[in-house]
Amino acid sequence: MSNYLKSEQYRMMRKKSLHITSLVCLLLLVVVAAVLYYSQKSDPNFPYATSRFYYTNIIGGGGFIVIVGFLYNFSLTGKDKDVLKNVVSFGVSRNAIFWSKLILTLRYFLLLSVIGIGLMIGLGETLLTGDSQSVKDFLIALVNMLPIILSAFFTIHSLNMLKVGEIYSLIVMLLVFVFSGDLLRILLRQVTSLQDVYKYAPDALLNDNLLHFMNDTVTFGYQYWITGVLLSVIVLLIGVTKFAKQTID
Amino acid sequence: MESIIQVYQLTKKFKDTTIIKPLDFSLRKGEICALIGPNGSGKSTLFKMLAGQLHPTAGDIHLFGKTGGDIAQVRSRMGFLVETPAFYPDFTASQNLEYFRIQRGVVEKKRVDEVLEIVNLAKENKKRFKDYSMGMKQRLGIALCLLNSPDCLVLDEPINGLDADGIREIRNLLVRLNREKQITICISSHILTELQLLATRFVFIKNGVIVEDVSKDTLQQKSQKQLQLTVDDPAKTARLLEQTYADIQFKVLPNQVITIHNHVECSADINRLLLENGVSVSEFRIESRNLEGYYLELVGGDRHE
Repeated sequence: MSNYLKSEQYRMMRKKSLHITSLVCLLLLVVVAAVLYYSQKSDPNFPYATSRFYYTNIIGGGGFIVIVGFLYNFSLTGKDKDVLKNVVSFGVSRNAIFWSKLILTLRYFLLLSVIGIGLMIGLGETLLTGDSQSVKDFLIALVNMLPIILSAFFTIHSLNMLKVGEIYSLIVMLLVFVFSGDLLRILLRQVTSLQDVYKYAPDALLNDNLLHFMNDTVTFGYQYWITGVLLSVIVLLIGVTKFAKQTID
Repeated sequence: MESIIQVYQLTKKFKDTTIIKPLDFSLRKGEICALIGPNGSGKSTLFKMLAGQLHPTAGDIHLFGKTGGDIAQVRSRMGFLVETPAFYPDFTASQNLEYFRIQRGVVEKKRVDEVLEIVNLAKENKKRFKDYSMGMKQRLGIALCLLNSPDCLVLDEPINGLDADGIREIRNLLVRLNREKQITICISSHILTELQLLATRFVFIKNGVIVEDVSKDTLQQKSQKQLQLTVDDPAKTARLLEQTYADIQFKVLPNQVITIHNHVECSADINRLLLENGVSVSEFRIESRNLEGYYLELVGGDRHE
């Protein structure tokens, strides 16, 4: 597995699209901060030049983060899957392939996330008006988001490894991470004991987290981790089991 | 002799269609075995199961005597090229092979250059794979097979897309690898004349069943079709043949030519018979079917892959 990891790292480091994606993401963070900063400069009454508003872009930008995660994961699980036949025929197990690609892409995704967060805090606290709680609240909100984002990343990985078409993948992602709250609320409203289940849906939790952050009332929530861990276990279990039986040609 | 590949009752079904019917096959060390069959006969399916790309529906595969969970380990002693070669299109030949060198734990970095040299791609190593011709892609596929210095090669249509020179080079390369490094080879191709020049054993497969498994010598004997003689006295020759062999089948053709369709194995006796009885034989030839003719007769003239 370690040789396979090394070889995939060799390939990943030579993916120009990946480096461009990372640069664009970091550049966007800088641009947003710059726009807010210069807006305040030109209009002293501009109300949004605060670090809290700046951080809101990420806390409320779950979709954007998932798209970046998709691009990162796609760099190793995308269209070149026919090369896998060379890997399997050398005796590398499907399990090793599945986990290696996940570990590598996740590692780089998390690295980009940490750099992005550091950059945001640096820019937010130096260029924009801050309050004493904004960084702490930002970090708490991020910790709440983390399991949901990770479960989305794992879902993307499983779908990619199982060669699910991009349209179907998009539908699955939208259903689970954008519409599941509303769907569960509608479907389960007649069942009294399950009426509150929708509150544990990923989209409902992310919205809840954003509202709390904006209202300065964000606290660490175990419910994010329950949903995130449950979803992660399910999608990884399905992914690894089905990939182990998959034909590779 | 040590068996490199052994399969027992290997079966592959796709939904309701059985592609490989319970099949027994073994490849012994040092052989160059040609697997020959028409489209859809199951050759590639068999190769894919050996390579681990497909899971068998039933049966056992033994590679180098290992089976089950241990089989993955010994696949590293083999080189597979099944159907079209697959590489990263934006990588050059060197980058692609470097990727696999790291993955396969080949320590010597220069091995990449060595195998590119072997398949005559050393000068094209900076070109991206997507810009390669079909023949170059095939060569790179063979280079990958050789990267980890395997003991056995399983090659599905390796000379597809190669020009005449390329085909000859690959044939010479495979013969050299077999003779000098004792690499066992299992190969399929639609160019049967090449297989005839290369292989030491011929396995014919049709509808997922092995219909014939013969050595090169046996094939040559079985391919002998008729005797063709040019004699000074066809009438006397005919009389002698009829007297000696009651069931002989022959034709007297113009220009004092006689063709004999059975008793081909008695060619030496026939020659002696004629000479001892004063018939002058100016030409004595055993006409053989080539591999293609043999194949067409065996599998019923279907188009082959």
